[in-house]
Parts: sequence; structure tokens; C-alpha cells
Amino acid sequence: MSDPQIDGDDGDGDDGFDAGNTALAPTAAAVLAHIVTSIVDNPEAVEVDASEHRGRVRLDVRVGPGDLGRVIGRRGRTAQSIRTVVRAAATRDDASADVDVEFIDD
Amino acid sequence: MSDDEHPTDGDDAVVTDLTDPVPVDDVRDAATAFMSGLTDAFGFDATVSATTQDNEIELRVDGTGLGLLVGPGGRTLASIQDLARVAAQRRLGDHETRLRVDVAGYREKRRLALERFASDVSEQVRTSGAARALDPMPSADRKVLHDAVAALDGVTSRSEGEEPNRRVVVVPT
Repeated sequence: MSDPQIDGDDGDGDDGFDAGNTALAPTAAAVLAHIVTSIVDNPEAVEVDASEHRGRVRLDVRVGPGDLGRVIGRRGRTAQSIRTVVRAAATRDDASADVDVEFIDD
Repeated sequence: MSDDEHPTDGDDAVVTDLTDPVPVDDVRDAATAFMSGLTDAFGFDATVSATTQDNEIELRVDGTGLGLLVGPGGRTLASIQDLARVAAQRRLGDHETRLRVDVAGYREKRRLALERFASDVSEQVRTSGAARALDPMPSADRKVLHDAVAALDGVTSRSEGEEPNRRVVVVPT
């Protein structure tokens, strides 16, 4: 099993991830996509990908240039709120409530 | 001391001070669209209604099985309200409105429970003559307690400590 780095990787080097499979956590992915497209200036640039790693589902969300600041928020408050709501949504999915959300600036 | 009162403090600050205020109806509509889309994305059959009074906007989400949107101790609801504020107020550059979100009447029930609690604690403090420090709680809950205690005789209240451990202390007068 490939073991790419999962934390602190905010680049585009997603080698080893099964990107694009939001069926892993469809409710969580839909909720994440809705929230992020609702708060950025450039909703067309938002992409959500899911991958599975050691039994956890990781959702990567990419936003357009300049939009990461609002998604993260002051002292990471918005990012934390997003994670809280997305994890609640993940309980509607079969996978598990173990969902990581990573924010990536394109 | 809400973050929303410091709109220029942060990397998502937008220079809007020279522009006209954002119409309250625009903020209301953006917040309503956000909440409707959110309940849809969760797969809930829910209705979202909004009321406005002056610059105060209240969104109510009603339906069955919405406990997931409230979460333990109302923490998911608090996050949802945070995000609704970002999606509506901050995205539109609005600094004037007050936006609150309630799900399945949770905040109303919580307020009534806190008021009963305040009444019980105040009675104990009056009887014993000794101040009582309550468990730490969020600022919205503390405000409910302060308001409730202020309406009672023989007791007053203050907050002590730093977030997130700030707590209400009820003291005899």
C-alpha cells in the first residue's frame, strides 16, 4: 500500500491518491463543496476530491487564487467550522465519520 | 467581542468602508440560499425561513431528524452559523446586519433551559449567601444567563476567566 504524506502537503503532489472519487463520502463531499463554493469569490474554481487512506477518508478541496484566506478564516476559525460540519455530514455516509479535510490553494 | 465586529482585522478583509451598506434583504437572501443548499447537501427534507427586523436576520430551519445539524452541545449549529455569516455577510462585504441561525427550535429550547437554570442557581445563592461559579460556556449562553439573573432580585452576575473557560459567577447582593 502506498503511503504518501498526508499532513502538511498543500501542494499538488497527490501521487498515490485516488483522486476524484467522492463516492467514498458523498454526503460529506456534497456538503463540503456547497460550503466552499458559497464562501469563495470564484466558485467555478472549487474542486473536491476524495481519497481513502488507512481507513480514513480524506477530502481535498482546491480553491482559486486568493480564495484560500476566506476559506481558512482568521486563526483558522472558518476552516475549523467547515471540518465540524463536514464531519457531521460524514455520519450520513457509510464510510465512517473519520474524515480529514485539506485546503489547497491552486 | 465577536470577530464580526472587527471586519478589517484579517487576511480576508475587504475594503468596503467607502461603499454603501449592503441591503439587509441581500444578506438575508444569501444566507437563506446557503442554508437551503446545506440542508439539501445533507439530504434533509427541511424548510428554511427567514425573518428580519431592522438589521437583525434570523434563519429558522425546520424539519424532522435535524439533530445532526445541532450536534453535541450545539457545536455543529454554532459552526453552521459561523459559515452562514461568512457566506452571507462577509462575502457581500456587509458589516451592519446581525445574523442568527436556529435549527428545530434548538436555541429557543436552550434559552428556556438556561433561564430555568439561572432561576434555580439564583435561588440557591440567595438562600446560602455564597457566590456560585458555573461551568464554562459560550458567550451566547452567558448572555442569556446574565439577562436572566439581572431580572431577579437579590443576585447579580459577572463573567470570569478567559475563553474558552470563561464562566458566569452568580453573586448575592
